[in-house]
Amino acid sequence: MRESPIDWLPGFDKKFSELTHRMVKDLEKCMQCGKCTAQCPAAKLSSYNPRQIIRDLRIGNVEKVISSQELWLCFFCSGCYAVCPQDINFPFAIAMLRYAALAKGYGWEEVKKIKDPYAQDYYDTGLSVSPDEKNLGIRAEVAKNSGTDGRIGSVRRKMGLPEKRVVSDKALAEIRFISDATGMTDLLKGMEKKKGVPKKWNYGSPADLVRIKRGPHQKFQDIDDTRESRDPGEVRSQKLEARSQKSGPAGKKE
Amino acid sequence: MPRKKLVEDIRVSDRMFLFQPCVGNNKYPGIISAAQDAMPKLGVEMVTSDEQTCCGGFLTFTNVAQPTSTMPAVARNLCLAEEQNLDVVAFCNGCHTFLTEFSHFMNDRPPVKGVVNVILSMIGREYKGTAHIYHIIEVLYKLKDRIAEQVQVPLTGLRFATHYGCHYLNGFKKTAIDDAFMPTVMEEIIRACGAEVVEYGENRACCGTGLTQVILHKEELALPHTKRKLESIKQAEADAVVVQCPYCQAQLDRMSQKLNSRKAGDFRTPTMHIIQLVGLALGVDPVRLGFDAHAIPFDKLLAKYRKLPKRDGAHHKDTKTQSRKQEVEVPA
Repeated sequence: MRESPIDWLPGFDKKFSELTHRMVKDLEKCMQCGKCTAQCPAAKLSSYNPRQIIRDLRIGNVEKVISSQELWLCFFCSGCYAVCPQDINFPFAIAMLRYAALAKGYGWEEVKKIKDPYAQDYYDTGLSVSPDEKNLGIRAEVAKNSGTDGRIGSVRRKMGLPEKRVVSDKALAEIRFISDATGMTDLLKGMEKKKGVPKKWNYGSPADLVRIKRGPHQKFQDIDDTRESRDPGEVRSQKLEARSQKSGPAGKKE
Repeated sequence: MPRKKLVEDIRVSDRMFLFQPCVGNNKYPGIISAAQDAMPKLGVEMVTSDEQTCCGGFLTFTNVAQPTSTMPAVARNLCLAEEQNLDVVAFCNGCHTFLTEFSHFMNDRPPVKGVVNVILSMIGREYKGTAHIYHIIEVLYKLKDRIAEQVQVPLTGLRFATHYGCHYLNGFKKTAIDDAFMPTVMEEIIRACGAEVVEYGENRACCGTGLTQVILHKEELALPHTKRKLESIKQAEADAVVVQCPYCQAQLDRMSQKLNSRKAGDFRTPTMHIIQLVGLALGVDPVRLGFDAHAIPFDKLLAKYRKLPKRDGAHHKDTKTQSRKQEVEVPA
């Protein structure tokens, strides 16, 4: 990974290209203009930095990239691809790097979060979004607006649709066969046992999360105040004062 | 500005395959029923299938499933349309992205297609790659003049803000029908319905649904981000935000409710899908448009809507569209 002298020996590039699924060829076009980072919504809110990640990949700090927390902050809005003057499909590179990270044992805890609510639903019902409403606040609002008990099934019935969208048994059998044949079922079953290697904040600290510096936008801690509504500007100045008195990083750990 | 050449290439036929989005079924069913009711009025019959499953894109880009597992599933879903010789219409930016990307990947690489077909042959299907995949915005833009003709209730005086979502324009910066930075497609459709368009500062900002649920589950990141957008929308004083992706709809609608319940703001602008707006203009019954399933109520908008005069001469209430409507399969 060019982090130790032995990595500079011949033969490194072969190893390297496998790890990044041959994405490096594309990333070589990068001219480090930084437009990707400038427009990135995740970079605005955290220490995630696409330009820095491309630079690290090019000079060979692959381990630094795939062991980082920041790798898991991209959410594929493709804005970086849209602005890129060299047409680098960076979201695709991120997806491939995540597979590389999983192969090295990093990041399984991130993937496990998706397993139960979405992947298992896909395997069981054919749809990855379930009709059950977990947020009781939303359910209460829907009940108020629709005059039903707030379940999506009742709303569908009121609209004249069948209560539940059911994927036919034949289709379920088919997608389960595809999952079995391609190894997805095994992956889902084995996922519980997978233990991720702890990731590091290689490009910043957790305190960098939510660092919108200008404007009346508050931190999450300010928003999560259910007692009374206050003037955002006032809240912010109070927080800033409190922070300067503490003189320490006041970020919420993720 | 829309790319005229790409718009010319869109082929709208009188029967098309409705690719049902998961969110459209299980969170905002209005999207599907609006499509089933409104599109026949434009002369396009929507065909659905019980055998269609989730596109699998969500699982792919959260790395839960390998592309090797989801690609045959995508090919299987496309087979359903191919078997009936139909083109696919996707109602979600995510579905559109994954169907298009994977079908291009397979069509351009015969060995990959061959491997996929080996798996599909075991379930008695074959992927040929003949079906075109369109986003609903492409179809509606192509039918813009027909919408203007068929409008039953011109939405005069209603003000709408637009939100395009990320995947369609950004991810397809060369092949989407509009530019990624100054899109006007949705505005033109809204004007064709007789309504006004409202500008606001954070138009091209993403809604933040990725931060909320995809991989991250970090609401502390998503809430300030979405709040910034919602504040900008609120200042524009729009009657509703029009989106083209059910996920954006879910995010803007649900986060408004969440921020309201935490007393971090007062966001009352409802969010609707473009097909629901077109349905409203074409005179589809608002109950069928599924506004009940939204967390932010549509009371104000619907009160204004009910006062609007209907266009004279209900020439489009012909029996032809009525009979077509019955042919459309309702998902079981």
